[in-house]
Amino acid sequence: MTTAQGSSAQASSARGISAHGLTKRYGDKTVVSDLTFTVRPGTVTGFLGPNGAGKSTTMRMILGLDAPTRGHATVGDRAYAAHPAPLNEVGALLEARSIHPGRTAYHHLMALALTHGIPRSRVSHVLEVTGLAEVSRRRVKGFSLGMGQRLGIAAALLGDPDTVILDEPVNGLDPEGVLWIRNLLKSLAAEGRTVFVSSHLMSEMALTAEHLIIIGRGRLLADTTVDAFVRASGAGTVRVVTPEAGLLTELLAAPDVDVTSSAPGTLEVRGTDAEHIGRTAAAHGIPLFELTPQAASLEQAFMDLTRDSVEFAATTATTATTPAAHERTFMESA
Amino acid sequence: MSTLAITPSRVLRSEWHKLWTVRSTWITLALASALTIGIGLAIAATYESGGGDADVDTVLLVLLGMQFTSIIMGVLGILVTAGEHSTGMIRSSMTAVPRRLPVLWSKAAVLGAVTFTVVLATNFITFPLAQTLLSGTDQEASLGDPGIARALVGNAAGLALLGVMALALGALIRSVPGSIGAFIGGVLVLPEILSALPYDVIEDAVRYFPVGALDSLTHAHTPTDMASPGAALLALSLWAAGTLAAAGLLLRRRDV
Repeated sequence: MTTAQGSSAQASSARGISAHGLTKRYGDKTVVSDLTFTVRPGTVTGFLGPNGAGKSTTMRMILGLDAPTRGHATVGDRAYAAHPAPLNEVGALLEARSIHPGRTAYHHLMALALTHGIPRSRVSHVLEVTGLAEVSRRRVKGFSLGMGQRLGIAAALLGDPDTVILDEPVNGLDPEGVLWIRNLLKSLAAEGRTVFVSSHLMSEMALTAEHLIIIGRGRLLADTTVDAFVRASGAGTVRVVTPEAGLLTELLAAPDVDVTSSAPGTLEVRGTDAEHIGRTAAAHGIPLFELTPQAASLEQAFMDLTRDSVEFAATTATTATTPAAHERTFMESA
Repeated sequence: MSTLAITPSRVLRSEWHKLWTVRSTWITLALASALTIGIGLAIAATYESGGGDADVDTVLLVLLGMQFTSIIMGVLGILVTAGEHSTGMIRSSMTAVPRRLPVLWSKAAVLGAVTFTVVLATNFITFPLAQTLLSGTDQEASLGDPGIARALVGNAAGLALLGVMALALGALIRSVPGSIGAFIGGVLVLPEILSALPYDVIEDAVRYFPVGALDSLTHAHTPTDMASPGAALLALSLWAAGTLAAAGLLLRRRDV
């Protein structure tokens, strides 16, 4: 599943992506506001925000497609455009349809490869990796959304880049394709590459990313790890309804297990999984009426965070810029 | 993969590859050649000595199809640039070559060279063929006659420069229909309207407008009320270079 020899991934000294005060205004509309963050190599970093939060604009600014109104971004040790072989530094999937529909997949990739002297064999290789080899001589016009996404990813991998920037890569992919993307991103990160992926779905990022950068209305809301976010959000808890709540609480007691009760006979268990709770209960003959992992609350926590940011932004227009409580909670000093 | 780098010649090869891997290029070039040859032969076949066309320059008479070729070459140039904006391909192109300008120069060079070569070949096929039908008329001429070869080459150069100008317009306007409208309206039609105005200054200036210059270049014997072939070539080059420079300036500044 690896994409290349990966030799170049270890080459340069300063690596990853840095954004310094990135700001983008269109007229009096501020799309991205003073964004500062770092994306480190070797992990998958999720870039989360509701639609219209400024994720795509930020990514375009990193790639030099949009000029920042203020601030700057670097990839590795310099701005993207300053690299002698940019495709070897960064592979990017922006909007899926950044492709001339009249050209075949093969010729599209070949046109990009020729600018850098990337060999034909590499074009064939990325077509294989993305599962497009059989349709590579077909014009892109007839491609499904998922095939278009795969071609965009093939283009991103073309230069064997140290850094991969993907804007909503799972859009339009079938479940098999989604799984493929998850594994691809993880394997790229495992090879030491910097992987920066945007999404508006918290649940998807929780499965793929280790680090999260969350924005809302162009502002940084959280720069944290997935684990910290999950812990803070209450996701990962298991809801248990049992007539023997007291006994089960005692049986589950362990240093990293936290059991709370919001109503009589109802437990919220954190730090262990439903399987362990179920087995423990069964071993002691405790009846369970309900045993529910609280997965949805992760998405809920993300929505709360971003919704709050919108209200926060609306109400602080006239007041000082005191960080909201949730920002302190999620902001990690790493 | 250690020698990967963007070089001007690599960008040029990429643009060459791009041009030939879309159908519109083949269609427009084939159409331009077919129309030039077809119209040239039709005119030659129906020509009568001493008729209304007797005072028309021999080369211009045979290449009257260039009225269409101008539009077709303009459309091809526009598709090369505005076509990338309308399809989104421009984002891929500018990500691959983030310094941007080499892409524009390469597009212009490739389009200019290709249109020049195709039109030149077409002209050197059309003229002798048409002359086989014109022998014995007052428009009889051969490639070796004074001014003939120069006008056939000049017409190809003029159309290539017109194509480059359209390419630059496409890069400036970014919309295919908008660019075609601006090209036909502003470059091909507007000078005709202007020259109808009763001002000598405008009439003098219009000679150096793209269509006037192309007209001059397509004459074996340049009439006195036209720019000289050298001046016409210089004028067309400046039009193309000026438009291209403006496109380059804006390409560096605008978001894509």
